[in-house]
Amino acid sequence: MQRLHPLTTREPGEVIAHGPSGAITVGEFLAHATGLSEALPPRQFIINLSADRYTFLLGFCAAVIAGQCTLMPPNRQRQTLQQLAEAHADCYTFGEAGVEDVEHVDSIDLAAARTSMTSGVPEIDEQHLCAIVFTSGSTGAPTPNRKYWQTLRAGSLSNVDLLMSDEQTQLNLLATVPPQHMWGFETSILLPLFCNVAVSHLTPFFPQDISDALESLPEPRALVSSPVHLDAFLNARTEPQRIDRIFSATAPMSEQLARDLEERFGAHVVEVFGSSESGIIARRNTADEKLWQLAPAFRLEAGKDGLLISAAHLPEGLLLQDSIEVVGDTHFRWLGRHQDMVNIAGKRGSLADLNHRLNAIPGVIDGVIFLPDENSKRLAALVVAPELEPSDILERLRPVIEPAFLPRPVYIVASLPRQETGKLARKMLVQQFAEIKRRKTLESDDLADSTA
Amino acid sequence: MSVQSSHEKELAELIVECLNLEDVGADEIEPEEPLFGDGLGLDSIDALELALAITQKYGVQLKADDANIQEVFGSLRSLSAYIAEKTA
Repeated sequence: MQRLHPLTTREPGEVIAHGPSGAITVGEFLAHATGLSEALPPRQFIINLSADRYTFLLGFCAAVIAGQCTLMPPNRQRQTLQQLAEAHADCYTFGEAGVEDVEHVDSIDLAAARTSMTSGVPEIDEQHLCAIVFTSGSTGAPTPNRKYWQTLRAGSLSNVDLLMSDEQTQLNLLATVPPQHMWGFETSILLPLFCNVAVSHLTPFFPQDISDALESLPEPRALVSSPVHLDAFLNARTEPQRIDRIFSATAPMSEQLARDLEERFGAHVVEVFGSSESGIIARRNTADEKLWQLAPAFRLEAGKDGLLISAAHLPEGLLLQDSIEVVGDTHFRWLGRHQDMVNIAGKRGSLADLNHRLNAIPGVIDGVIFLPDENSKRLAALVVAPELEPSDILERLRPVIEPAFLPRPVYIVASLPRQETGKLARKMLVQQFAEIKRRKTLESDDLADSTA
Repeated sequence: MSVQSSHEKELAELIVECLNLEDVGADEIEPEEPLFGDGLGLDSIDALELALAITQKYGVQLKADDANIQEVFGSLRSLSAYIAEKTA
């Protein structure tokens, strides 16, 4: 039997977004989205490339109303978009053109859409496939995650409960992360449909842009971001301003960064745990909590290959990619990623796979790609390749791995610190790496001194 | 190869140092070649790191909306010119 649920649970008079010319109410938004849904090409898939977050929200919701599915690419590189369009022939692009020879809907006439107001809130079939979120592994080959309305809706209600339960007034939210990435999608696109959140149409990048965009929002304000963006924002020392909530995900946040952010902006920093497959599953107040609080909708169970995360709204149990220790029924302690997995720039990849590709390069006798420490933003490589330069190695890796995983730096070494069994102990690797780095720094300082 | 000015040379050294580009010499960065994408292969994390280093060294806050930032970050020369204009 078909079960329907409303597109939004908000009241028509509430504010859902802040656009270039001011606040946009839920009523106006529904008129825009319904109008747009009637104007979309009758195709199955939409690739929503809107840079403007409100336009993205509209495009996504109009497509849902029209029974279409939004394809969310792992990045906006031309090649990625081209492949996506080839694999989904019945598609068009929306917002910004991105692919040659693919139908494109450029912009929308909001004034015209406003007049096509139909009464009431659209009802959506819970079995409707609303989106396919693609995540890229270490090779850049995208893996699809299918998101049905039931999953998005129940996941969002869980997120409201986990992240917004104590919010009484309208929270004005700014996100630095793209709406096509699951973290940005769940927070900046879906939350405004289910709780009292008004999202800014902007996606600021540089610290001064974040500061300006925040200034244009009324208080109370929330910032959705990542440790990399937040670290840059904190250190840029822009004018002090008040941020009530800071939500961070995509990489582990240090306790120190959380504390510094709280002190500087008067913010309550909430770190969020999740994945593209599961959505948000847990939270913690990183400045003073070590344990993660699991959202009530999710369960952790022992499976044959490790811990499984399951929920009524997920099609199947998901194997957790991290090592954790369950504490009671509602909390867990994060111990680290599975040895093989790394997360760089919000992209998850397998070290075994990267290493396989490094060692397949002709001239590489032995080599290893690894994360020098837990807070590193980049991978590094130690390579035994007497005939090669680091630039040769990077050149060979570039076409076969996702750019974010390119090791930097690459050091050529005489041998790797392998044990008798052939195993590489992480401790030894890190030591060797640190030693070379220290030497290089000294050399370049000497050079600078001698040329000064 | 077009020659780096002294400002460009200083900026090239900052780029190499702050982005861990050990395999690229500061003097190898072509002033008019792209820094991002196909050029040096830098990405958005690099842009943030670099923006921060520029703020710390030159006291200039980069902004996406007061200039075409893609053009500013387009090459060593354009980035250097942008900083010079802001510090003038």
